[in-house]
Amino acid sequence: MKRERVSAIINLLEPEDQLQPLTAVRPVGMLPFGGRYRLIDFQLSSIVNAGIQNVMVTVPRSGRSVADHLRSGSDWSLNTIRGGLFLSPYNDLKLVAPEKKLTLIYHYYDDSILFLKRSQSEYTVIMSTRNVSNIDLKALLRYHEERNRPVTVVYKRVARSDLTPENTVLQLTANDEATAVLPLNKLKAAPSTKQLAKSMSIYLLSTVDLIALLQEANQRGAMISLEQLLCQFVIQHTANAFEYTGYQANIHDIQSYFAANMSVLNETNFRALFYSSRRIYTKVKNEVPTFFTTGTRCQDSLFGTGGYIEGQVQHSVVFRNVAINQNTKVKDSVIMQGTRIGTGCQLENVVIDKNAVIGPNLSLKGTPEKPLVIRKGQQLFQQVEVAADD
Amino acid sequence: MQDEMLAIILAGGQGTRLGKLTKDTAKPAVPFGGRYRIIDFTLSNCANSGVNTVGVITQYQPLELNAHIGSGASWGFDSLNGGVTVLQPYSSSEGEKFFEGTAHAIYQNIAYIDQQQPKYLLVLSGDHIYKMDYSKMLKYHQEKKAALTVGVIPVKYEEAKRFGMMNTDATNRIIEFEEKPAHPKSNKASMGIYIFNWATLRSYLMKSYATDKSLEDFGKNVIPSYLANNESVYAYAFKGYWRDVGTIKSLWQANMEFLTPHNRLNIADQYWRIYSKAEVLPPMFLTATSQLSNAMIVDSCYVAGEIDHSILSQRVSVGMGSRIIDSMIMPGATIGKNVVIDHALIGEEAVVGDDARIIGTKERIAVVGYHETVGVEQS
Repeated sequence: MKRERVSAIINLLEPEDQLQPLTAVRPVGMLPFGGRYRLIDFQLSSIVNAGIQNVMVTVPRSGRSVADHLRSGSDWSLNTIRGGLFLSPYNDLKLVAPEKKLTLIYHYYDDSILFLKRSQSEYTVIMSTRNVSNIDLKALLRYHEERNRPVTVVYKRVARSDLTPENTVLQLTANDEATAVLPLNKLKAAPSTKQLAKSMSIYLLSTVDLIALLQEANQRGAMISLEQLLCQFVIQHTANAFEYTGYQANIHDIQSYFAANMSVLNETNFRALFYSSRRIYTKVKNEVPTFFTTGTRCQDSLFGTGGYIEGQVQHSVVFRNVAINQNTKVKDSVIMQGTRIGTGCQLENVVIDKNAVIGPNLSLKGTPEKPLVIRKGQQLFQQVEVAADD
Repeated sequence: MQDEMLAIILAGGQGTRLGKLTKDTAKPAVPFGGRYRIIDFTLSNCANSGVNTVGVITQYQPLELNAHIGSGASWGFDSLNGGVTVLQPYSSSEGEKFFEGTAHAIYQNIAYIDQQQPKYLLVLSGDHIYKMDYSKMLKYHQEKKAALTVGVIPVKYEEAKRFGMMNTDATNRIIEFEEKPAHPKSNKASMGIYIFNWATLRSYLMKSYATDKSLEDFGKNVIPSYLANNESVYAYAFKGYWRDVGTIKSLWQANMEFLTPHNRLNIADQYWRIYSKAEVLPPMFLTATSQLSNAMIVDSCYVAGEIDHSILSQRVSVGMGSRIIDSMIMPGATIGKNVVIDHALIGEEAVVGDDARIIGTKERIAVVGYHETVGVEQS
């Protein structure tokens, strides 16, 4: 791919109600994942691994956490003299006062249009972040160029039982074209169809067409999400459908977020995601090695650096800079960066957000279907507080 | 250059006493403590001390060192008012090539130093493990109105035979220098850290290389020459943790000390961070058969065996049924299944085949070299 051939838009304006309280402090794309990553790292890495240099990230709110993570883009080599990383903040209209909203009408897509015009790219790929994958976008471009439809959408074949009504799927024709991208409950498919085409929320189309789509939406005074616009475009024109066959995790609620983290503890998944020829990049931090003290029992788990581990950890994902004290047992849990867990605690099926302080001597238990979530920075010292939170 | 002090790190040493570990790499590039290289300590000390311009003089096998330092961004040296420059040996019109000694290395890089116009020159070696605030030493140098200040550390009298020893008067002025004395008169060993007034050193070097070329080495030649000319030379006593890791045993020992919780080096100190070139790697993966006790482990390690009082560096994998005891495994080494490694240093990218036994003792540490393969049947 020539440098300026393709530009990319990462859309962070995604449904997040089901992921509360984890998304109270960040967009979906900034959710920590797999021991040291954020969801957005997977899209960004796919983009830079395809040699794309022009990237815009549309952010729901101020984008503080996004800017803190991405900085100049240097961790993804996006701080070069060509192209670069651009942020478009405040795309979530729920936060915009009514009188401000009036001034936005006819201008809602201005940032994207300006970015696309300046990129001078031939094609644009649009990705949302609630699907973890490691996709070869060069292959997607080749596929698109070999076919006739103006847009290509990406899907993964999954079992019907693995989908929930909120998932979007493709309405596929016999010759692998998509006539619609729609929620599962609106799909016209025989209930006997076991394998369905789950949308990966990745679209590729010519930049000129995308600019026209956005300008036309501006003229109508439309203020809907980019993904909704693209869904309309697919219905209008029919899309080429590109099948992604690699590891994918689908993140739309707490249970699926938890299950996705647990799924990378499977060695096959772990290797597919992190040890393919396409590497996953993230913000680099200078942490010290993780220290496991005398006689710890830590198995079947992922750990980031900077940790200090005295207790037992089984089948869990432990991020950077976490302390787990003596006689504490952690099982089937996700422990995010900076969390401190005191002595004598029992944790099972728990998601602990960043910088929480737990214990000592607390029992935190959820179920795989309903993991117990501890909020960012929450401090729990007594058992009654745990019960009250649930 | 905006600062008045320029740092020069002498990183040209071959480190012959590290044997197979430095066969194809320079001593300052030798890995330490799981995710560092020895030179990281000196570079981070510069960054933390506000010394923003650093020249690194390389000579022996500089490839890895060059790749490691890069633009210096990992230490914050890629700023507008400073930077790190890797200085390679080059052939002058007089046909000089390689450095003969520490002072000669500085002389050969006079053009670079002059370009920076420093008032003070901080000369450092790239092969010690320590944390030191050079700005305090500069303040001391200025207060003493010294021409040269030498960093010294107290050592046991029986160890003094290994070091250059500084004999001082009551004001810490150095009155005598003895290289590896049989009967030491003081316990102040040179750390190989010097602050010079650049103008003075420059004139000494220019004079020497215009005539007899006698000033090859700081310890052997320059300090005695300063003393003979009654320049004011002071000792600056450093009291923190400091280790010379120039031998297999001392490198192993320092790694084992690094493993001790709450050791004096205090690597986790947020206010004096040790930076290193950060590779973006996946988190460490512990399988259902891993057993860790007193283990220090970093990103991209894969552990299916037992790690007892040992350090694993980045990208190390340890197969099922293997035991690693009292050892340090350098980046990228692959350890097969049912291997026993005890009291050993395993070099970068080494491959240890299944069922191999690599057993050393406290007195005789076992070593597998840089890129060496052990116990793998060649097909």
